[in-house]
Amino acid sequence: MSAGTFAFVMNVPTLICLALVLAYPVVYAGYLSVHRVGLGQLRSGNFAFNGWDNYSRLLEDPLFWTAVKNTLLFTVVTVTSEIVLAVAIALLINQTSVWTSRVTRFLILLPYAIPPIANGLIWTFLYSFQFGFLNRILFSLGVISDPVNWAGNPDTALYAVAVPYIWRTLPFAIILVHAALQGIPRELYEQAAIDGANAWHRFTRITLPMLRQIIAIILVLRTAFAFTVFEEILAITQGGPGDATWVAAWYSYKITFAPPNNFGMGAASSYVLAAMIGVMAWVYMRFVFRRVTL
Amino acid sequence: MTDDFNAKWEASRRRVLAGMGAVGASLIASNAFAQADGPWATPPKSKVDRLNFVVWTYGDIYTKIAKRFQDDWGVPVDSTISSFNDHPPKLAAMYAAGEKIDVSQSSPFSFPNFVAQGLVEPLDDLPGAKEYAADFTAFTKQVATVNGKLMGLPYFATSWVWNYYSEMLEKLKIDKPMSSYDELIEHCVKAKKDGVSRYPILWIAGVGLEQLPGTWYQMTWNKGGTFFDKQGNHMLGAGSIARETLKWWANTFEKGLDIADPESLKVQFTSGAKAFGAGKNLYRGPSHHYGLNICNDPAQSPIAGKVKVLGSPGDGKTIADAHVYFITTANRNKEWAWKLLQYLGGKTKDGQYSQAISLAKDAMLGSGYQSVMNSDAIKTGWAPWGDVPEILKIWDKSAYIGEVCSSIYQPWHFPWTDQLNIEVQKCLTGQITADACCDNLIKGIADAKRKV
Repeated sequence: MSAGTFAFVMNVPTLICLALVLAYPVVYAGYLSVHRVGLGQLRSGNFAFNGWDNYSRLLEDPLFWTAVKNTLLFTVVTVTSEIVLAVAIALLINQTSVWTSRVTRFLILLPYAIPPIANGLIWTFLYSFQFGFLNRILFSLGVISDPVNWAGNPDTALYAVAVPYIWRTLPFAIILVHAALQGIPRELYEQAAIDGANAWHRFTRITLPMLRQIIAIILVLRTAFAFTVFEEILAITQGGPGDATWVAAWYSYKITFAPPNNFGMGAASSYVLAAMIGVMAWVYMRFVFRRVTL
Repeated sequence: MTDDFNAKWEASRRRVLAGMGAVGASLIASNAFAQADGPWATPPKSKVDRLNFVVWTYGDIYTKIAKRFQDDWGVPVDSTISSFNDHPPKLAAMYAAGEKIDVSQSSPFSFPNFVAQGLVEPLDDLPGAKEYAADFTAFTKQVATVNGKLMGLPYFATSWVWNYYSEMLEKLKIDKPMSSYDELIEHCVKAKKDGVSRYPILWIAGVGLEQLPGTWYQMTWNKGGTFFDKQGNHMLGAGSIARETLKWWANTFEKGLDIADPESLKVQFTSGAKAFGAGKNLYRGPSHHYGLNICNDPAQSPIAGKVKVLGSPGDGKTIADAHVYFITTANRNKEWAWKLLQYLGGKTKDGQYSQAISLAKDAMLGSGYQSVMNSDAIKTGWAPWGDVPEILKIWDKSAYIGEVCSSIYQPWHFPWTDQLNIEVQKCLTGQITADACCDNLIKGIADAKRKV
């Protein structure tokens, strides 16, 4: 058996698992998206074909476009913040000479272990208008004189969801950046120091260029995840106030699982969402990742 | 000796008969509506290994009733319990996935949809069903009967009432609670001005099917309006009572009089009662009556005993609804599912409305059965938390929510309610006017119909 055949055979179980767990639901959702599917039809398996009707109804729905707009804003805010914070924190915990950085390195991982829905509920208490810790702390520090309705004000609600989301997912980005930092040869910094480069120059001329690849990877992954944010929305705002926090995944969920349970349109909205993520990933790969790896 | 013996025997016989009579009388008295030999006591002919129900959480009532069912009939009952808001998605997912579901429950808003989608088994032909239906209250009849067929048994019934914090009212030197909307504003403005309450009124305006929409429905109905007429035409146009009510309501929020608690936009029925129990507000807007069992529970509320119930302004018209249990078409055995359904929404083996009575006593819930509503279970059961005669007086002035908003019988009501929640919250937060909100909702009717 040739090495290529052997490699193929070894990959077959994985391929079968992926086909069953990933490909089948994806293909089935595509099938549903071009059929008229309610609860009864889904149980009986008898669907009426309705072509692109679900997609056209979706694209005509102003609420869908509001959800897309909110999703884009949420993604820009969270991904940008995560990258900036991840680099900053990774640089801090990379200081091996400081013993506290070892403790911090462990503690920084804790938010990642919090289930998303629990994270949302914790922040709901923090944000509570009259009784929340956040308002109490800010009031005690003299930063605010009246309580702020963080999650209930349409101007702040989306950001109020973004903060817990960043808090929960930031450790993932920190771990990646920290790992990349450890791969940068120390000699580069030593040579730069001999040449008289200050800390800022070392960061902009050595660290940042060496982190570009990992930043591109974080961009792709975090964008894909931010596009599908759901749990924090469910726990903190349920899309409100008004439509201020209706995001794409919340839209798909409501269309699908709230009566009249339009599974066809829900599948169509998921496909459109997936297509958007695909386009974003392509843009990153085409314009960011390739440029930094060449 | 014989005479002696006869005399003793006679006396003893009299005592036994008298004793039996007393036992019988007390049984009749205690089980005013219990008949132990009815169809609820007859064992089904078929056999099942187990049964299940899919419900939303409420204390430990389901653990208790499942145990009781197993003790009485020897059949274990599995329960799938989610939160109120997560229940319809959970049920839908299980049903769509082909799982067995014997019994489930529904709000009056989801129910017509579940029926239309083929999830619900009709009950008319089942033993004892007609007797249950004959005992339904008016609201329950309207919810549980769909297209002339009996489709469910009642979980609970509720009426929308106002609450006020009596100590705060005394502090303001106001001798009686509001009896008109003008007085309500007057009291709230005074409370704010005197520094007694920053936000004197807490509304139930969290996103939901009957929370935010229910508050608007209730006040519109109380002021003499509806949302749709009998022919299904909307009543939201310029100058309509619903539109004017919304204008008035929005004016209580930040961009207007700024007397409404901003938390209003997040609270549901129970969370609203808990928030009110903190003692920061003077009035709690119209809401399910049983919130009193939280506000007036010393374990949950620092102002327990000081929260009073109040009827609505004017002639006191208010709204009410009933939630139901039903047998799903995904049941494993209809005969046994009916038996289980009765434990939740009807009578247990002993012929008692056990669940309805314990819900009244433990949770202050109203019943869908007239006989329970007329019984001591309500009069004594509700008494620890509120003025029972006052609540029952309000109850008598209640109309079923479907009379105010007849679209709840239509499948498009759900997507339209999603829009209603969005538009009204935008209006209450000053992003759009009440006129724009109502215009959007009128346009949204056609959009919602297209989504179905």
